[in-house]
Amino acid sequence: MDRQQEFVLRTIEERDIRFVRLWFTDVVGALKSVAIAPAELEGAFAEGIGFDGSAIEGFARVYEADMLAKPDPATFQVLPWRGENPGTARMFCDLLTPDGQPSFADSRHVLRRALAKAADLGFTFYTHPEIEFFLLRPQQGKRVKPVPVDHAGYFDHVPHGTAHDFRRAAITLLENMGISVEYSHHEGAPGQNEIDLRYADALSTADNIMTFRTVVKEVALEQGVQASFMPKPFGQFPGSGMHTHLSLFEGDTNAFHEAGAPYQLSRTGRQFIAGLLRHGAEITAVTNQWVNSYKRLWGGGEAPAYLTWGHNNRSAMIRVPMYKPDKGNSTRVEVRSIDSACNPYLAFAVLLAAGLKGIEEGYELPPEAEDDVWSLTDSERRAMGISPLPSSLGRALEIMERSELVAETLGEHVFDFFLRNKRAEWREYRQEITQFELDRYLTQL
Amino acid sequence: MQRSHSSGAHLARLGFAEPGRSAGLLAERVLTELIGEAGADDLAEPLSRGADPDLAVLGLIRLVEATQAHPEARAGLADLLRSDDKRRHRLLVTLGGSRALVDHLATHPEHWRAAADATPPTAADLRSAMTDAIRAHYRSAPAIPSGMPSRSYPPAYDVLRVEYRRQLLRIAALDLATPDPVTHLPVAAEALAQLAEATLEAALLIAREEFGPGHQDCRLAIIGMGKTGGGELNYISDVDVIFVVEPADGVTEERAVEVGTVLAAATMKACGSSTAEGTLWPVDAALRPEGKQGPLVRTIASHKAYYERWAKTWEFQALLKAWVSAGDLELGKAYKETLKPLIWGAAGRDNFVEDVQAMRRRVEQHVPAAEAARQLKLGPGGLRDVEFSVQLLQLVHGRTDESLRSATTLEALHALARGGYVARDDAATLDRAYRLLRTLEHRIQLYRLRRTHLMPTEPDALRILGRALGLDGDPAAAVVAAWQSQAREVRRIHERLFYRPLLAAAARLSSAETSLSPEQARARFAALGFRDPAGAMRHVEALTFGVSRRAAIQRTLLPVMLGWFADEADPDAGLLAFRRVSDELGTIHWYLKMLRDEGSAAERLAHVLGRSRYAAELLIRAPESVAMFGEPDGLVPRTEAALTQTFRSAAGRRDTPKRAMASVGALRRQEILRVTLADLLGEIDVTQVGRALSDIAAATIAAALDIAGAAVTSAQGGAVVDMLVVGMGSLGGAELGYGSDADVIIVHRPHAGIAEDVAQRQAIAIVQELVRLVAATGPDPLVLDIDLRPEGKNGPLSRSLTSYAAYYDRWALTWEFQALLRARPIAGDAEVATAYLALIDPLRWRHGGLTATQLREVRTMKARVEAERLPRGADPRTHLKLGRGGLTDIEWTVQALQLQHADKHPELRTPNTVAGLGAAAQLGFVTAEQAETLLAAWTQAARLRNAVLLWKGRPGDAVPGDVREADGVGRIVGREPGTGATLTEAYLRQARRGRAVVDTVFYGHE
Repeated sequence: MDRQQEFVLRTIEERDIRFVRLWFTDVVGALKSVAIAPAELEGAFAEGIGFDGSAIEGFARVYEADMLAKPDPATFQVLPWRGENPGTARMFCDLLTPDGQPSFADSRHVLRRALAKAADLGFTFYTHPEIEFFLLRPQQGKRVKPVPVDHAGYFDHVPHGTAHDFRRAAITLLENMGISVEYSHHEGAPGQNEIDLRYADALSTADNIMTFRTVVKEVALEQGVQASFMPKPFGQFPGSGMHTHLSLFEGDTNAFHEAGAPYQLSRTGRQFIAGLLRHGAEITAVTNQWVNSYKRLWGGGEAPAYLTWGHNNRSAMIRVPMYKPDKGNSTRVEVRSIDSACNPYLAFAVLLAAGLKGIEEGYELPPEAEDDVWSLTDSERRAMGISPLPSSLGRALEIMERSELVAETLGEHVFDFFLRNKRAEWREYRQEITQFELDRYLTQL
Repeated sequence: MQRSHSSGAHLARLGFAEPGRSAGLLAERVLTELIGEAGADDLAEPLSRGADPDLAVLGLIRLVEATQAHPEARAGLADLLRSDDKRRHRLLVTLGGSRALVDHLATHPEHWRAAADATPPTAADLRSAMTDAIRAHYRSAPAIPSGMPSRSYPPAYDVLRVEYRRQLLRIAALDLATPDPVTHLPVAAEALAQLAEATLEAALLIAREEFGPGHQDCRLAIIGMGKTGGGELNYISDVDVIFVVEPADGVTEERAVEVGTVLAAATMKACGSSTAEGTLWPVDAALRPEGKQGPLVRTIASHKAYYERWAKTWEFQALLKAWVSAGDLELGKAYKETLKPLIWGAAGRDNFVEDVQAMRRRVEQHVPAAEAARQLKLGPGGLRDVEFSVQLLQLVHGRTDESLRSATTLEALHALARGGYVARDDAATLDRAYRLLRTLEHRIQLYRLRRTHLMPTEPDALRILGRALGLDGDPAAAVVAAWQSQAREVRRIHERLFYRPLLAAAARLSSAETSLSPEQARARFAALGFRDPAGAMRHVEALTFGVSRRAAIQRTLLPVMLGWFADEADPDAGLLAFRRVSDELGTIHWYLKMLRDEGSAAERLAHVLGRSRYAAELLIRAPESVAMFGEPDGLVPRTEAALTQTFRSAAGRRDTPKRAMASVGALRRQEILRVTLADLLGEIDVTQVGRALSDIAAATIAAALDIAGAAVTSAQGGAVVDMLVVGMGSLGGAELGYGSDADVIIVHRPHAGIAEDVAQRQAIAIVQELVRLVAATGPDPLVLDIDLRPEGKNGPLSRSLTSYAAYYDRWALTWEFQALLRARPIAGDAEVATAYLALIDPLRWRHGGLTATQLREVRTMKARVEAERLPRGADPRTHLKLGRGGLTDIEWTVQALQLQHADKHPELRTPNTVAGLGAAAQLGFVTAEQAETLLAAWTQAARLRNAVLLWKGRPGDAVPGDVREADGVGRIVGREPGTGATLTEAYLRQARRGRAVVDTVFYGHE
C-alpha cells in the first residue's frame, strides 16, 4: 500500500488538489464525507483523522465516540465534477478505534472480514452489479407524485432524450474516475435507466457503487433532473433492482466453472448457490433493507420473490446465465433480489458468507425451477419446496434476528444496530395511513 | 581370506556400528586394487575418526569406484590414502560427516582434492572461485540473451551449483576435521555466509549475462540480511536479501528499476531453481519494504522514504543485520549509511514497546507441540530467542553506543559485555550455550544437507551426532546431556541479558560487572514494557539496596521476577505490589526462603501481583498470607465446616465482640485471598469460586451471629429466641462473586412461653448487632443486605416463624415466592431452619406450578427489571448482570422453570443456577443445546464480572471497552494476551445466543 500512499501524495502536489474528501459509509449505506487539506493527509495515512462517531448512524455509543478515519490510498480519485483547478479528490476510509484497531461499526471492515475469510479458503470474490435507477422531473415538497423524465421502454433510443445525454455524461464521469462501465441502456419503465459496472473484486465494486450513486446524483443535478435509487417508486412499473453477478476465483481460475458439467457449473458453484438459497431469507433484510424494497420484491413482473434458481428463468431469485463455452472464466451466478439502495458492503458480505457456508457445509443444490414461479399456485409452490422471500421488512427482520450467519458476518455491533435501526423504520411505517387505505376505506366504511 | 586387522571385532572396537558390513567393504576389490589389502586394512583406524565410520567406508568405496572412469580424479588418491597426514584425515572425516557430500563426491570424484587440500577460505578466495567458474563457463559457451535455449535453464546454473559444492566441501572438511568444533563454529558460520555472498555475486553475473546488452543501465547491490548479513549462516538455510538499485549515468530511474527487477529475479532464480545438479537454497527477498507485496528492487531514496514513513519496528530490527553482500559495493555502502540513523533511532518510535512485546510473543510461540522438546531454534530459550534478545538490547542501547552495532550475534553479545550492558560471565555462559546449539544444528544439517532445527531421536542418529562433536564414551547419551544442560542455560536468557544488569544499575552495586547508567536502565525498563521506568528503578533499588541477607536474596530473585512481571498486562503494578509485600515481610525469615526455594512460589506470586490489583491489595493488607504459595494445599479453598470452626474458635479467644470480630475479619480476608489466588492461577473454575466465596460469607455471618447473640442475651439477662439467617440470591445459590453483597433474611422463634413481642425485641437487637459487627470487620467488609425481607425496608428486621407464615399466607407476591427458590439457611438454629424450610417449601415449589396469570406476572416483572433496574448510562448490551444475555436473564429462566415444575420434579429443587439448569436439561424442559448455550452465557458473564473486580480492585458490571483494561481482564479469563480489542465482540456473541434462548424458554417467544 505504501507505494500507493506515496503516489497519492505526489499526485496531490502535481494536480494542485486543494481538498481531499475522506469518504466512508454508515451502517445503512449513506455516504459520509469529511474534507481535509492535503497537508493533513500524511498524518491521516499514518494515524487517521479523528472524528466524533456518535453523530453517525450506527457507529458508536456516546462514551466511546472517538473514532479514526484512515484513508485507503488504493481508492484515491480526483473528483471530475468539481472540474476546474483547484481540484478536489476523494478516498474511501477504513474506520479505526482510538487504539488503532479496526472498528466493529465499519461496513467496509465487515466486508473486509468476509473477504479475509474467503481468502482463508483460497477464494477471491468478484461482483458485477447492474444498477437500475429512475430519472424524474425535479419537484419540491412532500407528498408529490414522481414524474418520469420520459416515456420510453426497454432499450428504447430516445431522440434528444434527457436520459441519453444523462447516461453519456454519467458514464464519462465514471470512466474519468477509473470506474469501468460495461454497458448502459434505457430500462423497461419510463425514466428508468440501467448502468452496469465492470466486474471487479467485491471491495472495489462496493466502493464503486457508493461513488456511482454520488456521480449519478451529481450529474442529474447538473442536468436539471432528479435521480432516485428508490426500489419501487411506481406501482405500475418495475422497480429498480441491482442484479449482481457473483463469482469466486481460486488464483486465476474460476471456481464456479467446470467444463462439461450442467451449465458448466462446478460443485463449488452449486454449493455456493445452495448456500444463497438456504440462507436467502436470513440475509434479505440486508440486501433489501427498506420498507419500499418489499414493494419491489412482491410487485410481480420479473421481481424475484421466491428462493429458487434457474438457468434462463427470469422469475428465479438466482439465475445461472448462459455463456459461450470457451469462456470458462466468465461462469457466474446472478442474484436478482438485491436492490440498488442497499449498503453494498454489507450486502456483498452476507451474500458471500451465505455462499461460502454452502461450500463449507457441502449443501445440496435443490432442483432448478423451470417454470415461471409467479404462475404457479401456492400449493404447487409448496409441493415443489419453493419458499418465498420475506414478505415485508418486518418479517425479514424477524428472520434475520435469529440468524447466526448474519450476526457472525456483520459482527455483533453492526448486527445489533442494524436490527434496531430497521425495527424503528418498520414501526414508523406501520403508523402511516396510506393512500390505499384512504381510497378504499374512507368513504366506504 | 584371513585378516586379523580389519576383522569385525576390531572394527567394532573402533566404533563401527556395522562392523561386518564395513569389513566387507574394506575388502572390496575397487579399494584393494588401488592401495592393496594392507593399505585398505590400515585405513580402518583413520576412517573411524569421523562421525559415522560406516558411512565413511561406504563413501570411500563409492569415491574410488567413481574415479575408475576419471583418470584425472584418480591421480594422487592412492598416495593420499597411503599417507598418514592431515590431508587424508580431512577427506576421511568429510566422508564420515555428510551423506550428502558423499553423494556429491560420487558424481564429482575429482572434488576430493577440495576436501583434502582445504585451506581456510577468505571472502576474496570464495568470491573469485565462484565468479571465475562462471566467467570461464561463459568464455567457452556464451549465453544466448533473452531467447531461451532448448533446456529449461541456463547451463551456467549447473556450473554455479558444482562450484558451490566444491567450496562447500572445503568449508565442511575444515569444520569436520577440527578437534574442537564448538570453538570453530563462528569460523565455519562466517565462511558459509561468505560462500553464500560469493554465490550471489556469481548468480548476479549469470543474471547480467543472460540479460545481455543494457544490463549496465542498472547499478545493483545485494544486501545480505538475517544470518547471511550477520556472517553466521547455517549449512542450509534460506538466504535473506534486499536489492538496491540506482541508475547508471545517463539512464532514467524507471529504466534502472526495470532492469534491476529482471536482474534481481534472475539472481534469485539462479540460486533457487532445481537443475540436474540440484538446488542451492531459496533466496528470500521478503524482508524488503512492503514484503512480498512490494517491488523487488528500490532505489536508496525509495528505501529511505519507506523506512522513514511506514516501516514497522521489526523491520528496523531486521536491518540490524544488513550487510553489503554482493554487486555494487559502493552503492551498498551508500545504502547502509543512509539507513543507519533510522535503524538506531527505532527504539524511540511510538509503539516500540508494544511491537517488541508482540514480537517476543511470536518468538516464543508457534512451536508445534510435537516438536517443542526437540527444537533447537524456536520457542523460549531457542536460538531465535537468543538472537532476538541480543538484537533488542542492541536497538535499545545501540542508539547511543556505536560499539554495539555489530551484525553478528556473538560479536554483539561480546560488545554488550564489554560495554557493561550485561555481565561478562553471563555473556560467556550464553556464548558457550549458543555455540553448542548452533554446532548441533550445523552437524544435523550437514549430514543430509537438509534444513532442520530438530534434535534427532533415533539412537543411531544421536550416536553419530555425539561422535561429530567429539564426545566419547556413550556419545548418544553424552550429546543429549550436553544439549540439555546448555538449553537450560539459554532458557534463562531474559534473566541474564535483560534483568540482572538492570538490577545492578538500580542497586548501584560497586562490584557489579555491568555498568548501565540510570538513563540506559530506564530505556531498557521502558523497552521491556514498564510504563514508569523511573518508578521501577526506585522499587528495584529499594528492594535490593544494602548488604543485608534480604537484599542479597532479592538480588538473585528479582531478575527472574522482573521478567514475569513484564509478561503481564500491568508490569508496574506487579512490581509495586511486590515491593510493598516485601517491605512488610522483608525481615521474616520464611518469606524470602520460600520465594527462593519453593519452586513455583515466586513465579505464581509474580503472576498474581501483575494480574490482579484486588489480590495485590489483599496481600499487602495481610502479607503473611504469602505463605499460602508455599503450602501444599495452600490454594485449595476450605470447606464451610472447617471455615466455621476456625472463625468461631478465633472469635472465642477474644474478650470483646469488637476484637472477636476483627479476628474473624482478618481470617475472612485471608480465605478470600486463597480463593483469589486459586482462581487467578486457574486451579478452580467459576462455580467453585462462587461456592468458596459463599462458604466464607456464611462462616463469617455464623461467627458474627454467635458474637451478636452472646452480647445481646448477656446484656438482656438471657436468651428468649432462637435465630436463623437465611441466605438469598447468589449467596443462597452458593454463586457469590467477589465483592457481591450477601442477601439474607432473618427468622426467629420465641422460646416456649415467651411472648411474641418480647422475643421480637430481642431478635431485632441481635440483628442490629449482627449488622454492626459484620460491617466492622475491617477494610472491605462483607455487606449484609436484608432488604429482601417481607415489606422490604419498611418491614421488621426479623420475623418469627408465625409471622412469616401469616405474611406468606396473606400478602406475598409471586416474585417473593420466586426469591424463596434461592433461600438456603446459612447460620443459626438448626431446628428453626427445619421449621422455616417446612414453611416455605410448599410455597416455592407450589403444587400445580404457576397459573397462567402468575407466569405472566413473572415475565412482566422481568421485563420491567430490564427496563428500570439498569443504572443510568449503562449499556444494556454489555451489562454483565442485568444486560441482555447477562446473569439475571439466565437465572430468571431457570427460576421460571423451577416455579413451574419443581413440585413434580424434586431434581429441580436447588438454589443453585447451574445445578437447576442441569436438572432442567435432564428433565427435557430445555434441550441440551439450549442448556449449553445458557450455561455458556452465564459462565462467561460470571467469569467476566469476577475478572473485572480482580483486575481493577473494585467491582464493575460492564464488559470493559478500553483495550488495555480488556486485555488485562481477558488474560484473567484465559484469553490470549493482546486480544483486548475483540473481548466485547466475543462477549456480545455469546450473550446474544443466550438471550435468544431466554426469549424462547423464558418469554415463550416462538
